[in-house]
Amino acid sequence: MSSMPDRLDLRRQDLAQVYRPQREWIDGRGILIVVAHFFSGIGAGAWLWSTLYDFPLGRVLAFASVMGLSGVAHLAFLGRWDRFWRILRRPHQSWISRGMWAIGVFGLAAGVVLLRVPGSVLPGLATALSLVAACGILLYEGFVYAASRAIPFWRTRLLPALYIAYGLRGGAALLLVAAALGGDGFDVAAVEAIKLWVVVSTAVLVLLYLVAGSRAGGAARESVAQLVAGRVSPSFYGGTVLVGIVVPVALALGRETLGLPELALVGSIGVASLVGDFYVKYCVVKAGVYTPMVGASGV
Amino acid sequence: MCYNQCGIRGHRVDGTLVKIEGNPENPIGRGRLCARGLAGIQLLYDPHRVDRPLRRTNPEKGIGVDPGWEEIGWDEALDEITERLVRVREQDPRGLFFSGTVISLAPLMHALGTFLPAFGSPSAFVSDGHHCGNAEHILARTLHASVTTNPDVAHCDHLLLFGCQAGLGTYYALTTMAQDVADARVRGMKVVVVDPFLGTAAEKADEWVPIKPGSDGALACAMLHLLVNEYRIFDADYLRDHADGPYLLAEDGWYARDLESGKPLVWDIDAGEARPFDAPDLGALALEGHYLVESTTCRTVFQALREQVARWTPEVAAEATGVPAAVIRRMAREFGEAARIGSTTVIDGVELPLRPASALYFKGAHGHDNAWPTSLAIELLNEVVGASNVPGGLLGTNPVCLGHPETGSPRWQPGADGDGLLEAGALLYNDPFGRSPGWPPTPESAELPNLRDLVGWPITTCFTPAALNDRENFSFDHAPQVLLNYGSNLLMSVARPEVCFEAFRDAFVVCVNLYSDETAEALADIVLPDACYLERLDPLPNFTRHHHPVGMGDWGHTIRQPMVEPLYERRHFSEVLLELAHRLGITEPMNLLTNNLFGLTPPHALEGGVRYGWREIADRAYRSWFGDEHGLEWFEEHGVITWPKKVEEVFWKPFIHARAPIYNEWVKRSGEQVAEIALDRGMKGIDTSGFLPLPDWRPCRAGRPREGYDLQAIYYRVPWHTFSMTYENPWLDEISRGEPYSYFICINTATARAKEIEDGDSIEVEGADGGTLRGRARLTEGVHPDVLAVANNGGHWAKGMPFARGKGIFFNQLLPMDLEHTDLVSLSMDCDARVRVRKVEEA
Amino acid sequence: MRLGMVIDLKRCIGCYGCQVACKAENGTRPGTTWARVVKREWGEYPDVKKLSIPVLCMHCGEPPCVEVCPTGASQKRERDGIVFVEGDVCVGCRACVMACPYGARYYQDDQSDYFGQGENAYEQCVYSAHQKGVVEKCDFCRHRLERGEEPACSANCMCKARIFGDLDDPESDVSRLIREEGGFQLNPELGTDPSVWYLPQER
Repeated sequence: MSSMPDRLDLRRQDLAQVYRPQREWIDGRGILIVVAHFFSGIGAGAWLWSTLYDFPLGRVLAFASVMGLSGVAHLAFLGRWDRFWRILRRPHQSWISRGMWAIGVFGLAAGVVLLRVPGSVLPGLATALSLVAACGILLYEGFVYAASRAIPFWRTRLLPALYIAYGLRGGAALLLVAAALGGDGFDVAAVEAIKLWVVVSTAVLVLLYLVAGSRAGGAARESVAQLVAGRVSPSFYGGTVLVGIVVPVALALGRETLGLPELALVGSIGVASLVGDFYVKYCVVKAGVYTPMVGASGV
Repeated sequence: MCYNQCGIRGHRVDGTLVKIEGNPENPIGRGRLCARGLAGIQLLYDPHRVDRPLRRTNPEKGIGVDPGWEEIGWDEALDEITERLVRVREQDPRGLFFSGTVISLAPLMHALGTFLPAFGSPSAFVSDGHHCGNAEHILARTLHASVTTNPDVAHCDHLLLFGCQAGLGTYYALTTMAQDVADARVRGMKVVVVDPFLGTAAEKADEWVPIKPGSDGALACAMLHLLVNEYRIFDADYLRDHADGPYLLAEDGWYARDLESGKPLVWDIDAGEARPFDAPDLGALALEGHYLVESTTCRTVFQALREQVARWTPEVAAEATGVPAAVIRRMAREFGEAARIGSTTVIDGVELPLRPASALYFKGAHGHDNAWPTSLAIELLNEVVGASNVPGGLLGTNPVCLGHPETGSPRWQPGADGDGLLEAGALLYNDPFGRSPGWPPTPESAELPNLRDLVGWPITTCFTPAALNDRENFSFDHAPQVLLNYGSNLLMSVARPEVCFEAFRDAFVVCVNLYSDETAEALADIVLPDACYLERLDPLPNFTRHHHPVGMGDWGHTIRQPMVEPLYERRHFSEVLLELAHRLGITEPMNLLTNNLFGLTPPHALEGGVRYGWREIADRAYRSWFGDEHGLEWFEEHGVITWPKKVEEVFWKPFIHARAPIYNEWVKRSGEQVAEIALDRGMKGIDTSGFLPLPDWRPCRAGRPREGYDLQAIYYRVPWHTFSMTYENPWLDEISRGEPYSYFICINTATARAKEIEDGDSIEVEGADGGTLRGRARLTEGVHPDVLAVANNGGHWAKGMPFARGKGIFFNQLLPMDLEHTDLVSLSMDCDARVRVRKVEEA
Repeated sequence: MRLGMVIDLKRCIGCYGCQVACKAENGTRPGTTWARVVKREWGEYPDVKKLSIPVLCMHCGEPPCVEVCPTGASQKRERDGIVFVEGDVCVGCRACVMACPYGARYYQDDQSDYFGQGENAYEQCVYSAHQKGVVEKCDFCRHRLERGEEPACSANCMCKARIFGDLDDPESDVSRLIREEGGFQLNPELGTDPSVWYLPQER
């Protein structure tokens, strides 16, 4: 018997488990949905912050993140990307459909803003629409997961909240990176302060989310167990906690002691924070466990 | 795909077979198939099939040695084979040995029944999976006039299974039995399964009785004792009138016989004296007791049985089996009461005895070197309550057939021999007179390696390689010159591979096979590409009738016709035999024997030395059985001919006056004759102490304690594998990959933890008689604490079966094959092993 | 009409005939088992229970897969209630795989053949009906329903453990069995309302 199970064997073994982990949205090309959500999340957040602080470079990076990186990742994730336009067809029922509309509207509106299309009404309208669409992007992603009736760990309003919070956080982090790369006229200190607050609050949100999952019992509890003490824990502790929370907080608090150049420090905080943003999404998605169809003692 | 010959239909699209499904018109299966039958397509289109004849280029033969196959043409292959066969025939035709797989039954019967006798060789050894059901088949013959048995579940309320999964995963007529057993269980039939492992049958059982492997005979003896001695639950009328219960036994253990007529005597209570059993005006017969006959104290057979089992108290049996005494008591009482002795029922307007309890057993129970007495003990459970060939009881597989309404053919039924005992009609071979050749065969000598002249009654003779390896002891005067092997993977399926390898390493070996399997690669000089069942014509493939379901329903005779023409250069073995016969100049005797095999009568009989084609022979067979309107073409179009069974065919016991022999005088006699022959020839290791006319029990080899080896390893069957071939089938392999047990070594959870073995650990199982298994442990509560269980028969290593390689575990390397591990009465081997286990590091 | 199935766990012996019958009928690729069997064991020696539970798409009354599908490929048919995937419309986003609690959906990205030697003649014939990059699942053998035949798994089960029929007809075999033999659904608390019911092993 082969010692390393191939992917199909893994699927066969999974199907026999009481608690079976989801793999289609993490293994192989499945990880691209996490990548796509990561880029569109931080991009939408960055667009919001960039508009607030009027930071042109931030806006450009945000747009590239959403329409470029996320767009490509989304298409590469699909089995039949050539039919991607069909996703627009069910906004009345599907959060994915709604999300695509949001991205589409964002692309048009933000494009108009970036191209500085003249006019009296249009720029304002475009800006407003782009902001609404960006909010939509932040909102819909969490709900895509929360709509998965079979995965209790995801079925909570805390998850969209987490995605919104991390989107805002990631957006701010992207701005810090942009500033470090050479953005002038940008109030780094203000963003940093907000950033610190956002980092701490997302950490609290993660904790709340895990506690809620654990108390829910069943598959949600199993998900939490795998996250904090199982197959997902290396990524969780390494990525989400250490690099994503501890490092940015430590860097921010210890700035005097470290004595690094200002922009380099800020950039590092940003990068570490972005890594954490990616990993929280990665961990939550990877830890998804299906509600048991047949328990350990039969039916 | 397995032994059961279920009815199928195939769908083709542009010449490619795309679907196999059941044939609802065929009573064998009634349109439903098991996983194996459905997976046949992947056998047909397996890229690893042998497609052209192969010849060995590496002169060194050996297990796991690369034969260096080169492809050759059919003419070249047949030329070489013919040359060898001509030589053997001239020197000593006994030098042609033949072995074959029972899975491909029709061509196998063709070879055994025509080619080999025509050639002049008695050296057939049919193995495939150890000894098959040898012990059970003997009793199926003597007690049921059949090859085997199945319970009448349609009317049964209590089914007791010993090491058998009838209708619950395996056994004869599975696809039909599965439907009937499910119906019966939903109706309320209770199922009790005695098995060391919680397999598919025990999963559905109302009660699982875990037992020490090889001790089923002790349990049955105790149940017999309770029924006939303590509870006094037995069918006196049946035993007196339909069995040899009243026959008198002298002190020397032989029937007391009338001095003049030689007929066995019975005690006429009214006359107050012993009289021949067939005397015209007999009074009431005594069933029990001791009587003085010519100054000798005699006792009835039933009395002898009562005394024989008296020592098997539940407490004694509990010690031997591990089954608590209270459970044994309850089992016996429930079985006896469920039999409802004295009750009747009406079927098709005919009033018949009703005995809705049935005890069935097979490999798990009798796959040991105590096979004969074990089987006898279990069979007698049915006999003592009269549940034999009546509604609800154990039925022989169709020993009575009155023929198709239009032709009255085929026709067979049992009768009574000179002692008034049951004598089978036709069995495996179709004798046109409906009688089997001489029973029982008399031990005469020990010159044939397949022991046919010494122990001639077992159906399969897988002991042959062991006998060949022991040739000094047996002093055979001939050795295998040529081995013609039809599809049998001997090295894997019989015992440790060295056993069969050693026996045939010096012979010229021809394997006719679907794959280049372990046997072909180690031994074969030439491999011929066989046409699988989907690529060939076999007329009347289920003519041996033991695959037909028992009980009321329909008879059905069918056709196996090619779903596709043989791919590449594959050829049908039957056609190869005809070709070889022609080349050898033995067409005439072969024609004669073919007439015998298929029961061909004029004008359809084959004539003289005329060379008939296979289709012609098939056509004649059908016409002979079913008339000119139902020839080959009719069967090619309609697939199956059916007609309803009659009550007197199915429940024949009340209609045919012949007594079931509870007492096996023939075994006692044979034992003495065998002992004499052994003494005469100075043979060692011939132990005839097991030739018992009445049941008893002693532990099997693997059941006996051995210092340092604390466990007993057994194998079990799963419903989606048969023998070793199915591991090459990817649809069936896929099942095992998703199923928790079949690719693992099952070990009791507590036993494992005590040895610090955890689920999934790599473990090594070492046999006290040699052999080592490696595999991963599956901890389960569903196995006796002293037992390791493995699904057989995986663990392939042949290069020619690359898909099967390494799948599952090769259990049989734990098994030696020699006289010490064999039940000489039935040539059954001990199929389990005394072992120890330890955790090892992953390789 | 609401088509549904009853699976009698007392009759079922866990032989996997249904798994292979489905595969033989629909020509699915390795690893895709629209019909499959789950095995469980519990208890302590010698009081041990084992159970084989055949599962397939439940053709839910409230199918979560249809709910989340962004393209409308996953549909519930009005006239008989079967849930199926329109292969030509599916984009392969696998949201339905996340939504289905019964593991009934199979994403077709793995294009292995069974022997690893390239598709054999049979596979070449049947795999062409399956698209790469989409999700597929049991559709109660839609093509057989059109011919008036029941799904392959229930037609073949050698224990007659699968009964197929109209759940909306109170006198159909399926309705009667559910009523009279204590039929139950898997995970009813999820609100999926499966059309596949089970009869208890012990009764």
